[in-house]
Amino acid sequence: MNAVVEPLMATESKPKMSIRDVHVRYGDVHAVKGINLDLYSDKVTALIGPSGCGKSTLLRCLNRMNDTISDCEVRGQIYLDGKDVYASDIDVVQLRARVGMVFQKPNPFPKSIYDNVAYGPRIHGLATDRDALDEIVEASLEKAGLWHEVKDRLDHLGTALSGGQQQRLCIARAIAVNPEVILMDEPCSSLDPIATAKVEALIDELSGRYAIVIVTHSMQQAARVSQKTVFFHLGEMIEYGDTTQIFTAPQQEQTRDYITGRIG
Amino acid sequence: MSQHILRTYDDELKEVRSVIVRMGSLAAEQLADSMRALKDQDTDLAQEARAADKALDALEVQAENTVVGVFARRAPVADDLREVVSALKMSTMIERMGDYAKNIARRTIAIAEGQGVVLMPHLLDEMATEANEMIQDVMDAYVQRGADEAIAVWERDEHLDNMYNAAYRQILARMMEAPEHIAILSHYLMIAKNLERIGDQATNVAEQVYYTITGRFLEEARQARDENARLP
Repeated sequence: MNAVVEPLMATESKPKMSIRDVHVRYGDVHAVKGINLDLYSDKVTALIGPSGCGKSTLLRCLNRMNDTISDCEVRGQIYLDGKDVYASDIDVVQLRARVGMVFQKPNPFPKSIYDNVAYGPRIHGLATDRDALDEIVEASLEKAGLWHEVKDRLDHLGTALSGGQQQRLCIARAIAVNPEVILMDEPCSSLDPIATAKVEALIDELSGRYAIVIVTHSMQQAARVSQKTVFFHLGEMIEYGDTTQIFTAPQQEQTRDYITGRIG
Repeated sequence: MSQHILRTYDDELKEVRSVIVRMGSLAAEQLADSMRALKDQDTDLAQEARAADKALDALEVQAENTVVGVFARRAPVADDLREVVSALKMSTMIERMGDYAKNIARRTIAIAEGQGVVLMPHLLDEMATEANEMIQDVMDAYVQRGADEAIAVWERDEHLDNMYNAAYRQILARMMEAPEHIAILSHYLMIAKNLERIGDQATNVAEQVYYTITGRFLEEARQARDENARLP
């Protein structure tokens, strides 16, 4: 059954995901402390903060990537369209199709470019025949801005592409299963400025269609790609606001010190 | 405020601030010299005040270069962003004050070289004192990071505007009484206008100082305050 989750702020759009009083512990380490946050379909939300602030941990809770970590304990609720993703009847494989993820280092499968994208739709049974699968592969690569670069070598290994192309291939792979939310954990940290610009342009392009959450250590990247920014420190959410406001007039001293590179 | 991890970044921001402060004191000095030259009919001092404008122009270029450098290298955000954006705008505003002071000096020379003796309207002296105090107070607000002090300067502009209107009427009346003095009196009229404009620029600087400190625009803050004041 879906719960009615009251949004944190009176906004025009309904949150796609709602995080309510989420705590995460790794054994004795209290990594995420009582976070309340809404994520919107038409917005890119950037999570920023120093290493160890809990931002990646929180991101990984959104599609239960932390399940495999044995001493990781998640408390609180995370709703996707009003349904708690930690409910016992949730199919985690299905959840990860709806909430896709792109990692820090591009991690294509050691398979052809085509198979990298076709893998998800195949296991989720999204294509009835080869033509339908071809269509999904083309559309996904197109959306990821990669189609024109790879259409003549779809049978080549995905791992043989450049770093930037590999990352866009991973984004195409995430898109191929019709996700509603895309999580990105420092997606450009291993890319050069041109490849970074292409991925950022892609994030821009995708932002109207998916709820995108990006963890980044680059303040400028957060400022460039997101509409909402959240600043975390020592597991707590210090400030949430419109990105422009955070980067021109942050309300909290800790946020200010962090984004301007001051000794806090 | 705490320091940046990069000391050189702090040094650059300090440099920006120090150029603006130097510009402020130069502009105030230039105005004081122009007015003293006018009162004493001292054309040498008037020439000096005219020439002082070059130093102000050079500082404006220095402010611009430093700010552009900060943008290029530091990608400033938050307080730092507001600091450098405001400095860029303030340098232009203060440079304009210098232009008005220079214009007063130029007219002082024209008056001294003109025909007949026409007494300076006493209101000009009062206006100059007020304008000069506004410059000094707004620069103090900038150095001390005083948002309330910036508002106080902003609010004084109305007083200077009223003084200008009075001076305008006074000079106009004298023109009608003694049409033979119109040439010189029109210089006085323009000097009054210059002083009023210097006050406007000091007001603009006050808005910028307020924004630098608070991240809010003074006009918005005032509107919000006025609306609150109207509540029963």
